[in-house]
Amino acid sequence: MALSLRSAFRKIWLTLSSVKTGVILIILVVIFSAAGTVILQRPITDPDDIQRAYSPAMLRFLDATGLTDVFHARWFVALMIMVSLSIIAASVERFPNAWRFFSRPYKSPDDNFRRVLPTQARIAVANEGVGLDAADRAFKHFGWKSEHIVRTSNFSLFSERHRISEMAVYIVHASLLLIFLGGIVDALYGWKGYLMLTPGSASNQVELKSGAMRGLPFSIRCDGAGEETYKDGTPKKYWSKLAVVKGGKEMSSKEIVVNDPLVFSGVRFYQTNYGRTGKLDKLLVSVTPGKDVKGEKREISLSMNEIVALDADTKVQLAEFIPDYVVQDGHVYARSNDVVNPAAHLIVTSEKTNKVVNVWFPEIPGIAENESSPYILEPKDLKTEVFTGLEVSHEPGQWAVWCGVVLMAIALTFVFYVVHTRFWVLPITDDEGCTMLWIGGSANRNRDAFEVTFKRLVDQVQRELKPAFAATDKPAASVSRTTIAGG
Amino acid sequence: MARARVEQPPATGMTLVVMVGLSIAFLLFIAFLNVVKNGNILSEANLLYAALVFYAGAGALYLGFGVTGTESYIKFASVATWAGLVANTGAVAHRWYEAGHPPFASLYEMLLSFVWTLAALTLVAEKRYGVKVIGTVTMPVAIVGVVLMQLLRSDVRPLVPALQSTWLHVHVTLAMLAYAACALSFALAMMFLIQDKAKTEVFLAATSIFTVSIYAAILSRFERWGGFNVIAWDAENKTEVFISRGVRLFVTIPDLGWLMLLVFAAVAAPLVFYILATVRNNEGFLSVANRAVFISILLQSLALVFFLLRARDGRYPSLDADGLYPTSLAASPFILAGLVGGIFANLLYLLLLWRRDDLESHLPDADTLDRITYKTICIAFPLLTLMIAAGAYWANRAWGSYWNWDPKETWAAITWLVYAGYLHMRITRGWRGRRAAYFAILGFGVVMFTFFGVTYLLPGLHAYA
Repeated sequence: MALSLRSAFRKIWLTLSSVKTGVILIILVVIFSAAGTVILQRPITDPDDIQRAYSPAMLRFLDATGLTDVFHARWFVALMIMVSLSIIAASVERFPNAWRFFSRPYKSPDDNFRRVLPTQARIAVANEGVGLDAADRAFKHFGWKSEHIVRTSNFSLFSERHRISEMAVYIVHASLLLIFLGGIVDALYGWKGYLMLTPGSASNQVELKSGAMRGLPFSIRCDGAGEETYKDGTPKKYWSKLAVVKGGKEMSSKEIVVNDPLVFSGVRFYQTNYGRTGKLDKLLVSVTPGKDVKGEKREISLSMNEIVALDADTKVQLAEFIPDYVVQDGHVYARSNDVVNPAAHLIVTSEKTNKVVNVWFPEIPGIAENESSPYILEPKDLKTEVFTGLEVSHEPGQWAVWCGVVLMAIALTFVFYVVHTRFWVLPITDDEGCTMLWIGGSANRNRDAFEVTFKRLVDQVQRELKPAFAATDKPAASVSRTTIAGG
Repeated sequence: MARARVEQPPATGMTLVVMVGLSIAFLLFIAFLNVVKNGNILSEANLLYAALVFYAGAGALYLGFGVTGTESYIKFASVATWAGLVANTGAVAHRWYEAGHPPFASLYEMLLSFVWTLAALTLVAEKRYGVKVIGTVTMPVAIVGVVLMQLLRSDVRPLVPALQSTWLHVHVTLAMLAYAACALSFALAMMFLIQDKAKTEVFLAATSIFTVSIYAAILSRFERWGGFNVIAWDAENKTEVFISRGVRLFVTIPDLGWLMLLVFAAVAAPLVFYILATVRNNEGFLSVANRAVFISILLQSLALVFFLLRARDGRYPSLDADGLYPTSLAASPFILAGLVGGIFANLLYLLLLWRRDDLESHLPDADTLDRITYKTICIAFPLLTLMIAAGAYWANRAWGSYWNWDPKETWAAITWLVYAGYLHMRITRGWRGRRAAYFAILGFGVVMFTFFGVTYLLPGLHAYA
């Protein structure tokens, strides 16, 4: 029983680690991701749009199967876990072999190996020493290092380059796992939210995507925000001046723009939104004394509810600001929060006479008493309050992602462009009793180019032999058989 | 009898070279007259026009080489490609200077860079690897690209804040290089299939499926009573007309839908005959299918002509709003590209059918082609990886998240996965030759969908291109 359990486990393990499983999983990920881009997705689509696009029965089915939110569905997560497990299993299954190959290079070829090696050549030499010396010089000629291998039975030469290339493919898969790990950490411990600030205000409460509030251990103060546009009116730049305040002290400050966030203790603040709150910031009013009052014409600036003395007796207060006003039945109402049709209500009071005058900009008939004001008030300029919308995110896993990406780029370069090449040079005695120099070579990829390199090495060895062994009666026999297997 | 044949000039065919040369000269002369009138010689539009003329000349010569096998055509075709590349480089440089940023910011600018890379790679493949007929496939793609550019919005628009980043250039350069390498691997895989003596029926099936899917997509614009919907176009502002935010206004061109339906039947016919031939195992159906391809090309050309005539600056009623609204060819660049692409694919098939054996003798052997296809994918795959990584890093800086499962992102990942699948099958399973070639072709299909399809069918955050 125990044995069969183990064999069953072994079977599952082998299935999981096979390339076939890997490719089937890739195909499944492709199909479901494609579905996720074609079917409207809940998190990014307006609920009404989804209602309109599908019939109720269809929508129930899509919701039940999670197809309206593929990338957050449990089964999609399970699929990604399967992919990770498959990568791990495949690596664990193949790695020991590769590691053995990597850590203990095969330096001294035996007869069997020599028989089956596809790329090899034989050169007749006078004796072992001369042949090995020539080969040594040939390696030096190309700038390759070579090792003298001493065995009880023989001396031989071994030379190799870029052994690391054998490991590269494992590094690629490990880097993919590292990227996944970063994604998982962010899914579990990361969060994203939104923070709206008006210049001068500060807050430490971030509204998360779920609607919940999250408090930060510090607060963010906005010291200004604005936009710049091109001549044709398209937006050019949005900016906000932000400061991090902790315990009453300013810890950090930065003017952020789109593409350049503020980072403080792992929390990032991005410029994502900008607009007007519909509230008044400053109203500039020109004040001209009326007939009964002495004084000079001047300008005053008012903010909401601010009271400004016009003279010892008279005061003016900005009582109301309506960004988009409409008059109905003798009352003024706000239609929207967009500053498209603004109205302001000022109250002028005289203490002596106890007279209160309602001044309206613009002068709304039936309500405004602009005529009876002791000062003639005229609006000069209007500054409305702006707000800046900040995307706030905490992604502790992103460093794993970037490390994984960099690692993958390097490893892929090794996988595709760095070739592990090995050469063996061994003096042998052929069937007729002549001393021959056996040269063998192997490369783990790009074998066509390697054949050329090998040929050049053999030619060079022959050239190096010439002074010592000019009259070869046997030409070198370069035997090359290319195999089908392998990449 | 035999003498009459011999007396014909034995395919040295300077005629084609002279004809192409004369037409290039003529077109450039006409353009020159225009320029003299307007003053500015080195404007971007003129350079692009020159590039188009040269690419078209090169395409004709490459095709001529495919048909007659005359070696000398290749030399002239190369020269024409070089000339086109120079003009194209001028257009890119002009654009760059004018806009103040590399030409990557809109679909128009991306196409400009893409065509440039494709032409450059064609020359590389030809000179470095000796794949001479590759221009037969890549030049028409370049021509379609330049024609599309004439229709897309080309005014220099300032960069919106999200695009003002160095990462834009890194990301898009990598994307263009990767996509061009994918295009090259596609062309090489096609050459491989020809050299590998894949049956012409396979190509028949492939081109038919391609064309049928184009017309199926086009017919999604079919309206009741045989009308055909195209987007209403504001000629003055060169933009689409919107009813409300994000909702386009469509106008209905009467009767054009019927024609499209007819052409759909015509392009489906070869596929039906092909299926009949395989199911019944009857070779006779194949020759019928080949004849049906011929008829379908004629009808497709008819559809193209009618579409050009009706959609060019007409005014038509709409179902969603009162009154007549104008439309223009510029409003439907992708329908136009689909129509041209369909004709082109079928012509390529006919070319293959006629000049099969000669073509084979002009290609490197199948093994070499297979290997170069693999090599181009070895170049494309790391570039794709870096392109996605650069995009993710940029998204993280701009939007606060490196992965949003946005359609463009997802499809880029799908492309990456398809090529990853190819590499796994090839390296560990030893998939060579025909199966690998089909995989390479599939990969390029996904690339094209990611590039064009996603932008127009599945818009998301990645709305610039």
